[in-house]
Amino acid sequence: MKLIKQIIDDLLTPMLEDFWKVPLWIRWALVVVTCAATIPLAVIYRARHSVNEKPRIHIIQNMDNQPKSVAQDGSEWFNDGRIMRPKIEGTVARGDMAGDTHFFMGIEHDEWATTFPTTVSVDKAFVERGQDRFNIYCTPCHGATGYGDGLIHVRAMTLVETGANGTSWVAPKNLHESLIKEQPVGQLFNTITNGVRTMAAYASQIPTEDRWAIVAYIKALQFSQDADPELVDGSASFPQKNTQGGDE
Amino acid sequence: MSQQRFTFPQWTNLALPAMAIVGATAPLYVAIVVAYGFSPDTLDVGHMPEQPIPFSHKLHAGELGIDCRYCHNTVEYTQHAAIPPTETCMNCHAQIHPQSEKLEPLFESYETGMPIEWVRVHDLPQYAYFNHSAHVNRGVSCVECHGRVDTMEVVYQHETLSMGWCLSCHRNPEPHVRDPKLITQLEWGIDMSEEDRKIEGEHWLDVNHLNPSQDCSTCHR
Ligand code: HEC
Ligand code: HEC
Ligand code: HEC
Ligand code: HEC
Ligand code: HEC
Ligand code: HEC
Repeated sequence: MKLIKQIIDDLLTPMLEDFWKVPLWIRWALVVVTCAATIPLAVIYRARHSVNEKPRIHIIQNMDNQPKSVAQDGSEWFNDGRIMRPKIEGTVARGDMAGDTHFFMGIEHDEWATTFPTTVSVDKAFVERGQDRFNIYCTPCHGATGYGDGLIHVRAMTLVETGANGTSWVAPKNLHESLIKEQPVGQLFNTITNGVRTMAAYASQIPTEDRWAIVAYIKALQFSQDADPELVDGSASFPQKNTQGGDE
Repeated sequence: MSQQRFTFPQWTNLALPAMAIVGATAPLYVAIVVAYGFSPDTLDVGHMPEQPIPFSHKLHAGELGIDCRYCHNTVEYTQHAAIPPTETCMNCHAQIHPQSEKLEPLFESYETGMPIEWVRVHDLPQYAYFNHSAHVNRGVSCVECHGRVDTMEVVYQHETLSMGWCLSCHRNPEPHVRDPKLITQLEWGIDMSEEDRKIEGEHWLDVNHLNPSQDCSTCHR
């Protein structure tokens, strides 16, 4: 305690007295400089706690951007400004040759194929793959169980009611309708590949084999929704099957 | 000796202690500004460029529950996670909001066949090699590297994407891997305790025989 008092008396007090004798403009300059020094800190704090729409500050370039092009990049080489070249009409890319009409089109002897192509093996893993893919690409509209009650459908119906921006909507089909149940696998495959009426084609989003997997899963799904309860252990205690859901 | 000599006023005695204080704090100050100001946390995280269409992940991936792979469909097969082509949007928007002003560039693109010019958000230096399929198929979810995209109105960069960040996971992957089936379930695991998450991660590291490499040639090839 004594020491601290001594330091204050002998050192700080005279310094403070001196300080008040410093010309006013210097004292003001000190205040301004100190305040200014907090500005970078404030800017940094803000930058770390907010999002920013302006281009990044990129001071040291290294070899970060090289004169090469990467996927989906722009390019000054081509008139249309894109580096990924669209297919040239009349050409077939490697692997795109649809020689096997059964596998690529679901057509066998000029009719919808009724069996799966020999290039795929329909087993549990295949059907599970189909389930996975169905849940990604089909559930938004057809719903997880295929009754045509997906979230997009539900939202679209409310948009139709309010007439937002000219929305019109054809309900996705209930995949458990007898007409669709009777369709051969080749026709289902074709629906996914090329679309049908208002439903878009999914060939560009889903590889061929996965499309067959989805078909296998749809068949399993249809079977499961119309299965003989006797086939399942303890089925007597199950709740009744849901036959509502989805519009016709 | 008649000339009056200039004498420093008494207050200049303060110069010495003042210099001591400035000398001590200035380097510290500069160090802080450089360390924080130039870190990718400040410069890169939160980068959110304006897009030609006000596309909302919060709406599409969050509320409407569309799986990431419906649009970014190459993410499991290739290095690059493709930004969806116009046709993918038109699967729905041919019928939904066909007269929306916000979607004007989409319909223009559909008619002319010219792509929409989306602005890149994430951008690694081109000397670094990154591969989506290597991560996604081994159970590293989008959320580990992109944050909760399904709650973002506009996507922004959530992580630094610096080498230190890549390595922090390659060195300690336990809390970051999961069942490869759940990679697009961004909300999975947020209610887990740290230990449970780690045990789960260890399980999947084991099942899929994962051992993320720290060799320079993994990422600089
Ligand atoms: C964007 C919404 C949407 C998605 C996603 C979608 N569909 Fe459809 N689907 C429709 C609509 C709408 C119809 C009804 C078309 C009509 O009647 O004009 C339909 C009809 C169908 C039909 C009945 C075809 C017929 O012959 O009547 C099948 C089968 C089908 N979809 C399967 C699928 C499969 C499999 C997927 C996933 C790969 C899928 N759909 C994804 C909207 C969708
Ligand atoms: C309906 C289609 C759609 C869905 C579903 C979707 N995205 Fe996107 N995503 C886009 C489009 C279009 C862009 C480009 C525009 C933009 O950056 O907002 C994009 C951009 C991104 C980007 C930034 C890319 C860049 O430029 O660096 C990330 C990251 C991303 N999406 C992640 C996801 C994740 C994670 C999910 C799943 C939760 C998801 N997306 C679901 C369409 C979609
Ligand atoms: C699976 C269906 C689906 C796909 C694919 C899809 N959207 Fe949408 N989108 C919707 C629905 C449904 C709404 C309407 C939500 C509402 O208004 O309540 C919507 C709304 C929008 C809106 C707001 C429109 C307005 O006027 O309010 C924009 C912008 C939009 N989408 C952009 C895109 C873009 C860009 C893509 C392609 C990357 C895309 N969407 C792909 C279903 C889809
Ligand atoms: C291990 C981290 C990691 C994971 C997991 C990850 N991403 Fe990425 N993502 C990145 C990085 C890093 C980039 C920047 C790549 C570049 O600039 O070359 C990126 C870029 C993107 C892009 C922009 C296009 C591109 O490839 O440059 C999209 C879209 C995207 N990611 C979507 C996704 C989706 C969807 C998922 C989940 C299925 C996902 N990412 C999972 C790290 C990741
Ligand atoms: C959240 C965790 C995580 C992050 C972040 C991450 N990685 Fe990985 N990475 C992994 C895992 C897990 C593997 C799979 C290791 C295995 O297969 O044994 C992997 C594998 C890889 C591979 C493939 C190695 C091979 O042998 O095929 C590359 C390349 C790679 N990472 C690069 C990167 C780069 C570059 C970044 C930063 C932009 C990054 N990673 C960030 C977890 C991560
Ligand atoms: C997991 C992936 C990964 C591994 C392993 C890795 N790096 Fe990197 N490295 C990166 C990424 C990503 C960047 C770019 C970081 C950025 O955005 O600046 C980078 C940047 C660099 C840079 C440039 C740094 C700068 O900003 O100037 C050097 C030098 C470098 N790495 C050297 C190495 C060496 C040496 C090793 C081996 C000990 C190594 N790296 C291992 C991913 C990796």
